[in-house]
Amino acid sequence: MLKCSGLTKAYSKMLFENLDLELGAGEIAAITGPSGCGKTTLLRCICGLEELDSGEITLNGEDITSVRTEDRGVGLIFQKPVLYPHLDVGGNLRLAGENIEKALSEVGLEGFATRSIASLSGGEGQRVALARALLARPKILLLDEPFSSLDHELSLRLVEDVRTVLKQRNCSAILVTHNREEAAKFADIILEIF
Amino acid sequence: MKNIGDKLSVLIFSSIILIPLFLALDRLVWVAGFDPVRWFSSIEANHLSQGSVGFTFLQAILSTIATIAIGLPIAWQLGRYKWRGTGLMRAVLTMPFVIPSIIAAMGFLAFVGPHGMGLRADQDTHLWTLIIAHAWFNMALVIRFTEPVLSTLDRDLEDQLRLLPGGKTFWGKLKNLWIPLLTPSIAAAACMTFIFSFTSFALVRWITPLESTLETVLADVGERAGILGYEEYTNDLVLASSLIQFTVMLASLWLMSWLQEKRQSLLPQASENSNLKPNPRGLLILVPGLFFALAPLVTVAWSSFRIPVREQGELTYHWGVEGWIEAWSGGYSNTGVGDALLNSLGYAGITLIVALPLGWSLAKTIHELELSKSKWARILDVFTMLPFAFSAVMIGLGVLLGILKLDGELNSLWLLPVLPHIMLTTPFVVRIMLPAFRGLDPSYDEGARILGLSHRARFWKIKLPLLRGPLLVAITFTLAMSLGEFGASWVVARSGEWDTLPVLIDSLRSRTGWDPLIQPTAAAAATTLMLITLLLFLTVERFRPKGEGGMF
Amino acid sequence: MRAGTLVFALLLIMPTISGCITDIIDSGFENDQVTGPDTELVIVTYDVSGLTDSMLAEFENQTGFEVTLIKLGDAGSILDHLLQHKGAQSADLALGLDNTYLQTAIDAGVLVEHLAQVENLSDSALEPYDGPLAVPFDQGWICLNYDTDKVDGENLTIPISLWDLTQEEWRGRVVVPSPATSSPGRAFMTTTTDYFSNDGDNSTEWTDWWSAMSDNDLIITSGWSEAYETHYTGGYGEWTDGHIGDAYLTVSYCHSPGVEAYFGGNWTHSAALDLDGASFHQVEYVAAIDGGNLIAASAFIEYLTSESVNANMPIENYMYPALDGMDLPEPDGYRYHSIVPTTSADVSMSTIAVEMDDWISDWNAAVL
Repeated sequence: MLKCSGLTKAYSKMLFENLDLELGAGEIAAITGPSGCGKTTLLRCICGLEELDSGEITLNGEDITSVRTEDRGVGLIFQKPVLYPHLDVGGNLRLAGENIEKALSEVGLEGFATRSIASLSGGEGQRVALARALLARPKILLLDEPFSSLDHELSLRLVEDVRTVLKQRNCSAILVTHNREEAAKFADIILEIF
Repeated sequence: MKNIGDKLSVLIFSSIILIPLFLALDRLVWVAGFDPVRWFSSIEANHLSQGSVGFTFLQAILSTIATIAIGLPIAWQLGRYKWRGTGLMRAVLTMPFVIPSIIAAMGFLAFVGPHGMGLRADQDTHLWTLIIAHAWFNMALVIRFTEPVLSTLDRDLEDQLRLLPGGKTFWGKLKNLWIPLLTPSIAAAACMTFIFSFTSFALVRWITPLESTLETVLADVGERAGILGYEEYTNDLVLASSLIQFTVMLASLWLMSWLQEKRQSLLPQASENSNLKPNPRGLLILVPGLFFALAPLVTVAWSSFRIPVREQGELTYHWGVEGWIEAWSGGYSNTGVGDALLNSLGYAGITLIVALPLGWSLAKTIHELELSKSKWARILDVFTMLPFAFSAVMIGLGVLLGILKLDGELNSLWLLPVLPHIMLTTPFVVRIMLPAFRGLDPSYDEGARILGLSHRARFWKIKLPLLRGPLLVAITFTLAMSLGEFGASWVVARSGEWDTLPVLIDSLRSRTGWDPLIQPTAAAAATTLMLITLLLFLTVERFRPKGEGGMF
Repeated sequence: MRAGTLVFALLLIMPTISGCITDIIDSGFENDQVTGPDTELVIVTYDVSGLTDSMLAEFENQTGFEVTLIKLGDAGSILDHLLQHKGAQSADLALGLDNTYLQTAIDAGVLVEHLAQVENLSDSALEPYDGPLAVPFDQGWICLNYDTDKVDGENLTIPISLWDLTQEEWRGRVVVPSPATSSPGRAFMTTTTDYFSNDGDNSTEWTDWWSAMSDNDLIITSGWSEAYETHYTGGYGEWTDGHIGDAYLTVSYCHSPGVEAYFGGNWTHSAALDLDGASFHQVEYVAAIDGGNLIAASAFIEYLTSESVNANMPIENYMYPALDGMDLPEPDGYRYHSIVPTTSADVSMSTIAVEMDDWISDWNAAVL
């Protein structure tokens, strides 16, 4: 379903060159590697926030290389959850879709709709971000080290929860992380960049 | 500059700023002939401008020094310590900056004049009165620039330094922490103070009537310039004064822009609450500071109720509201305060409708250029500050000589006076919105794009609400600046029924002949304007983003 | 701002105006113009803060014209404005040009003959100019005023010649508005050119006096207000906030002490100095502007020179009326404290128009 071929991107140094990647429906992949090796940039390229130097991305057979981010149908969860402080939890979810109670219960946050963003803990914030991302019904979800700022125990629990939700929905995903343990627990396949 | 709208805004701004000034310059040079040596020597060769260059620099430099000397201790107390009512104190202490200068002038004259403290007995005290008034007016800049640096400084930085050899002594701390940390902010505030003092108009006009600054020379002779065969010496004076002023201002703005950038990089990333427990001795600074900030304003309000009574050679007073009645009924002027206020509000409203989107778009463009590391960012940044460099009177003259020349009918155009208001307020919008754009986390926009929100939806649902604080500050500032604008209005449009409140106040003050109600009436009109400005200011104080370190 | 004069509260007391404009309006002449689109009258004037709504409303009610004001800095600004907008005038009527400016305006061709029927103007008002392009509406004499308290108190000698003011006792005690920026200043400088050419002394020029004054710490201000209100000790300025009070002698009107007395409860310590040839007869004019609404302008000229309105000049505008047989009012010492100088400077309007630029430049060199 997701097929990347010949992806190349360089800033002052080459980040990745001629990278190929293929992911089946409902498949979950993890990409690991040291910091600064271009993992984040790869995700940003796939969802269109950055332009590739060359290469081609297709999603469900459709070439999306030059489709606007807004129209790609790709979800992304940032390292720190991007939640809008001027809206409450429900308001944040409503940016993605309507069925917010169901989305919240799916990530274990029943009754959180009227909570303010400032009142959320780090783990809750990431769960809200996940609920919102899924509510937008992405064809594929990209996760950029979403667990790295949480403590060890919490991150392991969240890794499992997220995997469960994704599997239930048969949603494919790519996780970027520098943590191999996390990658192993989360993904079906692991890809390593150096 | 991907967006058509942004290109358009740069174009509109450029034409508003440059076309009148270019036309005016063209006309002046046409009449005067191209002879820069004569232009510049005319300043010292003419009685009315002799010494004005020296005086302009002298008062601007002294005013800058006085402003720092008064503002810095106050900023230190406000920023370092957690006082009860800090917010209110900050509001009071920074309020003078938005008070129309004509009110400040009235307040100071009433305060130090023969019927106040009696401190202004001879010409020698004029300069000092002017400097103190400039310090009063601009101390907000010092506070606004340095206070956020002090209040958000991570205490760890200070504590760490105490454990290092370089921070053992007072001088060590000063040398290794405070001076490098505060210098860019102080210098930036000094730059702005210098600019505003250099081009100050109403205060100079009222407080030092015997001295000329380049700005008052421009105002004195400007309206006679540009006419072939008639008092042509005025063209030399206008050209020389405005070119000198422009050069000095441009250099200051360039320095300012550079300092701002340097300052931004030194602005400590906000630690939540680093304020210390206050030392009561700090009140020795804050209380006189508050008194200083309020005294001229209270004096204006007070003198609106104080009616002088002359009995032969004696002056006594009684209290009454006659001044207020005359002010509102317009018995002494073309329009009453009510009508003038409506005019002012009308101008302010139209100014807002144009200046706000224009300034927003310019700030956004500068920010985008900065992100793409374009050298045009600095150029556009300074360019948007150009109206500061041109000064109110120069802008007024640009409109007068540049635009009105095109068609005399434009003179009666109701909208004409709005043009200088737009020129003068747009830079403030840019100055307020630019740091806000810089401070806005780009992932907010990216996150919304991922969720599939359209450009329009992102603007209305994400960007606008997130920038609500600075936007409100910009709106209030635009309104306050437009309501208080005097210099340009004074030059361009004093056409009776469209008088704005500051022009009305000036014409009341300038009325010839003795009438006991004139001063109370002018003071009542001034108090009205002051109250509206204060109301705006206090409303917006609540929305001011904390520690954002913006310029205003 | 300046120019002591035009405070124009020609208040409410306006009866019907008689005269030809009413006839014009009645005659149907107006059908094309007055009831046509151009019922607006734009008056360019200087900061006549007393030109009140009520007075304008009175005129508007009587004639049906709608008045708009363009207010400028001083009498000179009116000329500036007319010249700036030559060929594309936005105003219909110029109010406040005096005989130091009028000729320049006439020469520039910015004025036009009015249609008003104006009668009974006094000979003195018509003395500088008696033609169809401008109508006098008030007049006065510009001369030196001094503070009698200070002169008595400090035993100063009352000058009998302008040269006396260059003496040490007057050092730093004399203030004059600059001729470059003020019309009373212009008028007084014009006077000195005449005074020193008639003083029987060929060894000195008028500019020598100005140089000597400048050496004697003469205070030169931008306008009349700054001289009279801020620096002069003898006037009402002492009751205002901006007052400094370092000059005992200033340039103002010969009837300024009368105005002081009238508004001060028959009390003043200011007196006018009647030096032969050291005063200037100033007449202020109202004139229709070329290309403007001539009917409306003419209506206003008639209104302003009607007896009832013009009689109020001393109270509302602090100037003598322009009509024959009218004088300053007597109550509260108005007339008593005012003088009409024995001999004023004799300088024609055309001389002024020709020489002014050179005079100002010579003056400038003398005081620099």
